[in-house]
Amino acid sequence: MEGLFDYAPAIALFPLAAFVIALAFGPKLPKKGAIPGIVATGGSLLLSLAMLAAVAGGEEGYYHETLFTWAAGDAAGEIGTDAIEFTFGILIDPLAALMLVIVSLVAFLVHVFSLEYMNAEGETGLPRYYAGLGLFTFSMLAFVYADNLLMAFMFFELVGLCSFLLIGFWFRTRSAPSAAKKAFLVTRFGDYFFLIGVVAIAATFGTVQFAGEDSFVAAAAAAIDDGGQLFGFDAETWVTITGLLVLGGVIGKSAQFPLHTWLPDAMEGPTTVSALIHAATMVAAGVYLVARMFGYYALSPTALAIIAFVGGFTALFAATMGVVKDDIKQVLAYSTISQYGYMMLGLGVGGYVAGVFHLMNHAFFKALLFLGSGAVIVLMHHEQDMWKMGGLKDKAPVTYYTFLAGALALAGIVPFSGFWSKDEILYDALIVGLEQPLIMAAYAMGLIAVFFTGFYTFRMVFLTFHGEPRTETAEDPHSVGWAIKAPLLVLGVLATVAGLANLAPVAKLTGAEISFLEYWLDGEYGGLEALTYHSYHETVPFEEGAIGSETTTMLLGAGLSLGLALAGAFTAHALYNVPSPTRHTEKLGGAYDVLRSNYYQDEYQVWLAEGLTLPVARAADRFDQTVIDGAVDGVSSVSLFGGDRVKRIQSGIVTNYAALLVAGFIALLIVLGFLGGWFL
Amino acid sequence: MAVLELPQWTALAPALVFVATALALFVIDSINPHTRNRSLLAGTTAVGALAALGVTVWFMLAGVGTPTAEGGLGVVELFGGQFVVDQMTLFFTTVVSIVTALVAVASYDYMADHTYQSEYYSLIMLAATGMAAMAAANSLVTVFIALELASLPSYALVAILKDNRGSVEAGLKYFLIGALSSAIFLYGISLVYGATGHLQLEAIADNLDGADAYGGLLGLGILMLIGGFAYKTASVPFHFWAPEAYEGAPAPISAFLSSASKAAGFVIAFRVFTTAFPVEATTAVIGIDWTTAFVVLAIVTMTLGNFAAATQDNVKRMLAYSSIGHAGYALIGLAGLSADGGELVMGAAMMHLFVYGFMNTGAFLFVALAEYWGVGRTFEDYNGLARQAPVACAALGIFMFSLAGIPPLGGFWSKYILFTETIGAAGTNGAMLVVAAALVVNSALSLYYYSRLVKAVWIEDPIGERDALAQPIGLYAAIVVAAVLTVVALPAFGPIADAAQQAAAVAIG
Repeated sequence: MEGLFDYAPAIALFPLAAFVIALAFGPKLPKKGAIPGIVATGGSLLLSLAMLAAVAGGEEGYYHETLFTWAAGDAAGEIGTDAIEFTFGILIDPLAALMLVIVSLVAFLVHVFSLEYMNAEGETGLPRYYAGLGLFTFSMLAFVYADNLLMAFMFFELVGLCSFLLIGFWFRTRSAPSAAKKAFLVTRFGDYFFLIGVVAIAATFGTVQFAGEDSFVAAAAAAIDDGGQLFGFDAETWVTITGLLVLGGVIGKSAQFPLHTWLPDAMEGPTTVSALIHAATMVAAGVYLVARMFGYYALSPTALAIIAFVGGFTALFAATMGVVKDDIKQVLAYSTISQYGYMMLGLGVGGYVAGVFHLMNHAFFKALLFLGSGAVIVLMHHEQDMWKMGGLKDKAPVTYYTFLAGALALAGIVPFSGFWSKDEILYDALIVGLEQPLIMAAYAMGLIAVFFTGFYTFRMVFLTFHGEPRTETAEDPHSVGWAIKAPLLVLGVLATVAGLANLAPVAKLTGAEISFLEYWLDGEYGGLEALTYHSYHETVPFEEGAIGSETTTMLLGAGLSLGLALAGAFTAHALYNVPSPTRHTEKLGGAYDVLRSNYYQDEYQVWLAEGLTLPVARAADRFDQTVIDGAVDGVSSVSLFGGDRVKRIQSGIVTNYAALLVAGFIALLIVLGFLGGWFL
Repeated sequence: MAVLELPQWTALAPALVFVATALALFVIDSINPHTRNRSLLAGTTAVGALAALGVTVWFMLAGVGTPTAEGGLGVVELFGGQFVVDQMTLFFTTVVSIVTALVAVASYDYMADHTYQSEYYSLIMLAATGMAAMAAANSLVTVFIALELASLPSYALVAILKDNRGSVEAGLKYFLIGALSSAIFLYGISLVYGATGHLQLEAIADNLDGADAYGGLLGLGILMLIGGFAYKTASVPFHFWAPEAYEGAPAPISAFLSSASKAAGFVIAFRVFTTAFPVEATTAVIGIDWTTAFVVLAIVTMTLGNFAAATQDNVKRMLAYSSIGHAGYALIGLAGLSADGGELVMGAAMMHLFVYGFMNTGAFLFVALAEYWGVGRTFEDYNGLARQAPVACAALGIFMFSLAGIPPLGGFWSKYILFTETIGAAGTNGAMLVVAAALVVNSALSLYYYSRLVKAVWIEDPIGERDALAQPIGLYAAIVVAAVLTVVALPAFGPIADAAQQAAAVAIG
């Protein structure tokens, strides 16, 4: 099994090859690059599964190999290291192996789905599309198995670039290029802090490795134990600062408040791209990075609390906005922001397993919902307004039932996958919250968001599939083929049963050993000791409380969240599951305007750009034009003037030369002779 | 290798090969006076120069001049220490022989219509002999004789275009300034001899104590020696001949003088000041650190050279001033000697001279090519040449950017090492900080006029119609080889740097 690991680089290289093929030969290929893409991602999927097996069955249970050193040198780190290396390497541990499978699976299904969604719809520019998908998948897979922070940063940026290219796929429209630019700029704003964080970590610890003896995580733990100062700060404060800098990138990519504004606009891209961005690549990259370097965040209670609070707040904040959207993809976009908020909440309270569990489940059901909405868009001849749909339930049963499975998972209704992971996050938040008021507030926000999630999810389901058809296209929808149905069925099954991976509450109640994901991430099947759940759990500095006994707390929490989810779903049922639903938004009054305008987030960010940054940029430009350019021009004028004078000394008359030569010599003689005391 | 079994005097083989080639050329000329068999003459010259190069490289590889402690064959001293063959000798002989070979090949085309063919080539060979001898000279007498041996043929070479007023005038000016400088130099030698009673360099060093009573006299003598070296290396204030001579001379000769002759001037300066006047002992006698003089000269020379180059319209004159600027860079090698790490600075200066030998020769050979084409002398005249001669102009781009010190070319590395070593030496000699700053400012300024030439040939439109340009084989070959050497100097930089640093360390040792 161990030998398998030697093929690990191929996981990412397959899609890269597909990218090159699609770019070079795409226009001549029968499906314009779809076939190489499917073969490549299929190959990546098989290899990723093999890695999963190798991690589970191997003796070491992980793979950590430096493949290429591209810069090495002597540089003093703050903690006393004297050399630093920048490398490309691969780290495959249980977390990475799991994520590789998720990413390659979703990418594979998206490629298959595209056959009908893009090819059959007669889109132009398909080679560009498939090349983009290939590069996107490559970047994300390489990011997932990166073994150091700098490599992760590079592929993180590449992921951002690919999302720019794909969101702006329909570049002839007005809105798509603008959305692509927005996504690029907003995430770049976060990545700016990430880059500073990478530099800070490298300068402090002299290493950017994630794992092993010489990882920056281990170095940071040692530095905190020593109790020394780093750059004039307490070691722990410094770890918090650098951790938060890296978190800047996470907040941008994972669309957390306040850098979430790019994500709803990103719906301008093809729906397949949205599925890939939301489920497995771009947005997932942020949360995955937190999980990847969780040991580092675990050292800082402040950083953890900030992660948890931002997550809880974003979960609620985005869920309320999702309630009033009319566009099916917009609803899903806000649900994505909200769900990633949950993951951040889970990780922030130390619930490493819960966060990763939800990352996995979300990947399945959100890919399902996006592809399902893609199917709906095909059915509806590219109509996305839910008020023009209705009654699709009977005309497209496969789409309906799979979409429903995804919706139940998203809303967190037992026994669908989303329930188990969301419940585990909320439980972890609750037990920590009982001791920490701030976390309690985050938990409360997460809990309230459950109600809104149930509501908007089923509002979407009812408006789209139930009731009477409200337009002619809804009466007579376009048909969909196997390339759409097959991915939906696969994901539908996964969204339904993925919860089985970690039935923690059942395990607690019955004592059965069925929380497999926890064992997996705990290294019971193989892994690195330092990167396991219990090792993290020991590091996380939070106390845990309970209401009564642990089981009571758990049942209470689960009952509360399930009740709220059902309440939301039933409210939606009461309002919208009628033959001819009407808008109820007027009842919200002033709140409707606020929600409809997304809390004026875009407005204030545009104001920041136009009202603050632009004048500053103008002032800087003026400074550059006058002072800097003036100084530079001045230097050149002085140089040229001086040069001109020097030129005139060269008169061409040899007697002048002789005189100047002797004069120069005598001047030198006088100076040196005077200094040396030769004339005394 | 069998070097050890050879008699000691064979250590001077490179110089002997040069002189033998010169005599061979005389023989050819006496058998067939006024021969214009250019292939034979230029070929003989090039073969002679390459043979000298081969011998030098062989010596280097065999370990001649490398201290026995490091597994070499030891420094060879000849004629009671009048000559010495060590690593520095071989290092600079390499530069001289490569430049000589390039100039010989380029002259094949450039001097095609010239009447005095064999005289031209034999004068080059005699000058090269003088330069090789300068690299080995180890006594003020041999230094002076070698210097004159290099200078006298140079005067004739500059003036060899007898029908060209500029050439003749330049030759005369060069000769007059040279005579004045030689007089000052010789006077300096006599003062040193008067103060110490010796001419052999090690003997001077050993007898500095005895010169206590004549501190001022010795100081004046040393200053006059500096004058002589400044003349040979075209440093301020003895630089006045350079722009005139380089402009008036045939372009290959300009290349020869500004590269090989300058390098030879530096080797004697390095040797005399490291061997005969150890900084501390000399300071005790003359009351002042002689590196001060070099600090001043280095800064003034590089500044004057670059400032004057910036405003030139004539390409050849611009290169002449740039060559003065580079002399200023190389002078840093002597300016840093009193500081800790001074041998590193000097090694860096030697590296720079080595790389400079190729890129500057190449640049002047391009001018030779332009003169061969007859396109004119100013920047405007060069406009748009790249459209007709892309290969030569690409080579010109390499020379210019390397001279300016743009990475990744050889000129960048040598200048970069020179800069870092200068900064390193600033720890014990604060003046080096000023020198380093001057180096950076002047390099930045130099980019202006170097890139101006690149812009002219590659970007500007030609100002008038131009006939098709010939492709003379010899000139092209020399330019391309120089360009390749400039580029190859990059990967080969490790060994070059090692050789230069070792040579400097041994010389100071």
